Amino acid sequence: MQVALKIWRYDPIAGERALKEYEVSAPEEATLLDVLDIVKDQVDGSLAYRKSCRMMICGSCGMRMDGAAVLACKTRMYDVAQEGRVPVISAMGNLPVVKDLVVDMGPFWGKIRAVTPWLEPGYSDPGETEHVVSQERMDVIHKESLCIMCGCCVSECNSMEADPDFLGPAALAKGMRFVGDPRDQATVERLQSYSGEHGIWDCTRCYFCQERCPKGVDPRDAIAKLGAEAVSAGIDSDMGAKHAKWFVTSAKTTGWLRETELVPKTQGIAKSLKEVKFAMGLLRHGKVPPPFPPHVAKDVDEARALYDLVKEQGREGYEGIVQGEKALEQLELESESDGAGPRDPYGEGSFAVPYLPGENGDEEAE
Amino acid sequence: MHDVVVVGAGCAGMRAAIEAFDTGADVGVVSKLHPTRSHSGAAEGGINAALGNRADDSPEQHAFDTVKGSDYIGDQDAIEILANEAPGDIYQLEHWGCVFSRDENGKLAQRPFGAAGSPRTVFSADITGHVLIHVLYEQLMKRMEQGPMTVHEEYFAWRLVVDHGRCVGVICWDLVSGGLKLVAGRSVVLATGGMGRIYRATTNAYACNGDGMAMALHAGLPLEDMEFMQFHPTTLYPSGVLITEGCRGEGGYLLNADGERFMARYAPNALELASRDVVSRSETTEIESGRGVLGSVLLDLRHLGAERILDRLPGSRELAMTFAGVDPIYAPIPVRPGAHYHMGGVDTGNWGETELEGLFAAGEVACVSVHGANRLGGNSLMETITFGRRAGQAAAEHALAASSPTPSLSVAPMADAERDLKTLLDRSEGERPWKIRDELGASMLENFGVFRQGPKMELQLGIIQGLRERYERVVVEDKGPVFNTDLTQALELGSMLDLAWVMVQAGVAREESRGAHSRPYDFPERDDERFLRHSLTRWKDGEPELDTKEVRMTRWQPEVRSY
Repeated sequence: MQVALKIWRYDPIAGERALKEYEVSAPEEATLLDVLDIVKDQVDGSLAYRKSCRMMICGSCGMRMDGAAVLACKTRMYDVAQEGRVPVISAMGNLPVVKDLVVDMGPFWGKIRAVTPWLEPGYSDPGETEHVVSQERMDVIHKESLCIMCGCCVSECNSMEADPDFLGPAALAKGMRFVGDPRDQATVERLQSYSGEHGIWDCTRCYFCQERCPKGVDPRDAIAKLGAEAVSAGIDSDMGAKHAKWFVTSAKTTGWLRETELVPKTQGIAKSLKEVKFAMGLLRHGKVPPPFPPHVAKDVDEARALYDLVKEQGREGYEGIVQGEKALEQLELESESDGAGPRDPYGEGSFAVPYLPGENGDEEAE
Repeated sequence: MHDVVVVGAGCAGMRAAIEAFDTGADVGVVSKLHPTRSHSGAAEGGINAALGNRADDSPEQHAFDTVKGSDYIGDQDAIEILANEAPGDIYQLEHWGCVFSRDENGKLAQRPFGAAGSPRTVFSADITGHVLIHVLYEQLMKRMEQGPMTVHEEYFAWRLVVDHGRCVGVICWDLVSGGLKLVAGRSVVLATGGMGRIYRATTNAYACNGDGMAMALHAGLPLEDMEFMQFHPTTLYPSGVLITEGCRGEGGYLLNADGERFMARYAPNALELASRDVVSRSETTEIESGRGVLGSVLLDLRHLGAERILDRLPGSRELAMTFAGVDPIYAPIPVRPGAHYHMGGVDTGNWGETELEGLFAAGEVACVSVHGANRLGGNSLMETITFGRRAGQAAAEHALAASSPTPSLSVAPMADAERDLKTLLDRSEGERPWKIRDELGASMLENFGVFRQGPKMELQLGIIQGLRERYERVVVEDKGPVFNTDLTQALELGSMLDLAWVMVQAGVAREESRGAHSRPYDFPERDDERFLRHSLTRWKDGEPELDTKEVRMTRWQPEVRSY
């Protein structure tokens, strides 16, 4: 079959980038990686990309096709070729480009290392035999242990785009791999550390990581589980945790969300004073119900019964709901400051232009 | 200058690095891939240790199965070390947090594997290599925080540096920044893996080009048993990716075009769980007799049921669905033999030591030999851990010994490397390497595959000579310093051409059928009188020179091998 592609090339020596089109003949079973190999062999030997296992396990070949992260070796090209589409191939997002489709994975691994990514054993030393742990207990971290560290989730992370220091989906999923491991004894320390700045509560729940993960790790669910564990362990000083807690308290007591109280409960009295102007605007438009006496929903008993049921089942409702207050705040700030708004991942047609060294969020802030 | 430089960061390399560090050494790891990208991570089915969690088992039984599987040219003292130390090594991996599958009692689950007398293969569904490589990298990261442990990522190791009869480092091409770099150490451990890419149909990653074997060969070291390449019986049609032996361990059938479980005719007792050489030969015979489907046979899992497939073999299902469009819950998977594992490698002793002072080797690059003429499934991962650990310890002890002076580093090897590289990069007219690579892969499969015979091997020697001549004029199109994989791929091809010559030469000389070296047309029988010996190849004046070496036996005498 004939396959055509456009590839965002980047030459780091000349500092030039260009979108180039290639058309090659490939076998019908060819993957994106096979097509790149044919281009490199037969058209341009200088094309750079990473590859190794070509069987979806080494995690080398993460890149973007039409703006969405994929593993090149997992992406069959038959349908694309049949439709006559010419996909745009570019380097992963949120990581600086080294050359063509190769990104610097340094920041990625730095964040993995920041979550103490090794088992802290200690509860019991089994001696010269294995720990006895049921398969059910181990299944808690089944998905997290499938992670191949390809970076596709990080590439797509909207929160990281706003805050380059956000730990991000891969590192937090790695964190959950240990928090959920019954053999690890550092659970509380881990949850405290992951709940800090740039941690679990900065996720915006956009679910792009979950959607684009090629291995079914479901990193967003891992972050939700961490949030749940943190609140369970009483680690709830973060705004995100307070926000989630208030949702539940409010629904339990009155059967509906008391928005007037949400802001002070989440942000604290002092910070919420800044929102007075906004609140007055809402009031003028009749959007603020009187806070006293609290309005109780007619079927509040149903809400309370649900709360009790979930509690009885050991999965408290608010737990696991992670808010992205800080990241959202930052997004708003950014769009106010430069007028252009944050980078649009789907700008310029259907693809994202990979960003180059010197173009990341840090330097923009300076 | 590091105390220990480990070249390669798969299971063997990382295990060696961890042990060397724990022994007190300053460790530098050199790898052309990030460690977790290494091909150990693609191992699927499991790792063998006689834990006896599911049925009675013992290290003696494990050792005997391995000796028999090796067709009696595995070195029995090394095999006993593997079998005896395997359980302790598995427990240590579990204590480090390895996510193994569990049985109903919460202990490590074990599954049956080919030619094993007891279910002794510890596993994690069908991604055992993946969980091993990640737990080892976790331990490596821990040590990177603790002290002198450096990983030189994306450094392509090219040449060993030998000074006054001692290995003192390795010359690397820095993939990210460009340029040759010398990574020096008091000891060097080679752990660069195998060379399946010498064949067109292979389970191996693009990275598996025999780099370390070629480096050792060119440094004057002998390679052992290079004629023995294992063909895995179940590689997916058409892509060649591995479908685990665990599929048969869990009860899968092999069928021919008539729907017959043909293994009943070749191995009436073990059936699908005969050793890999036996199953690959049976499949090839079926296919060549016109009883194949798409040049393949069929691996049927349907009778296992959806639940067991999803629980124990989810990765194989994903591979079959992605690369062959087949869901094994509903349809059989087309599979055929493909190059998988090299039993041969750098000749080492039981601590990974080689005849060159300061050089050690472990894993697939090495030949201890625990696999002899045919490796049993699940034994290679175990070898990487047990012998990786031993090599790491021995390398550290060598480096830290009071008698180990700081080696002198002359500038000559680096200057030679710079000059040779410049010659290659300056050439602007000529053939690009990929055609040579493709022709090598196709011809090796045709003439040095599952079945071999004299005339075809002689033909292959001629083909290799022709390809080597063309390689002399090969041109690298990318001249830039940054991420120049055009250059490294050209260098890898050079290694493979030399190694192919070594392999076929050793194959021609072995006039018998043993393990993976099968000559049904001219020498169908095993010949213990003449060939119960290892082959040994050195590079002399630009060509391989063949010799032999004794097999070390402890308590098992050769018997007729049937399954």
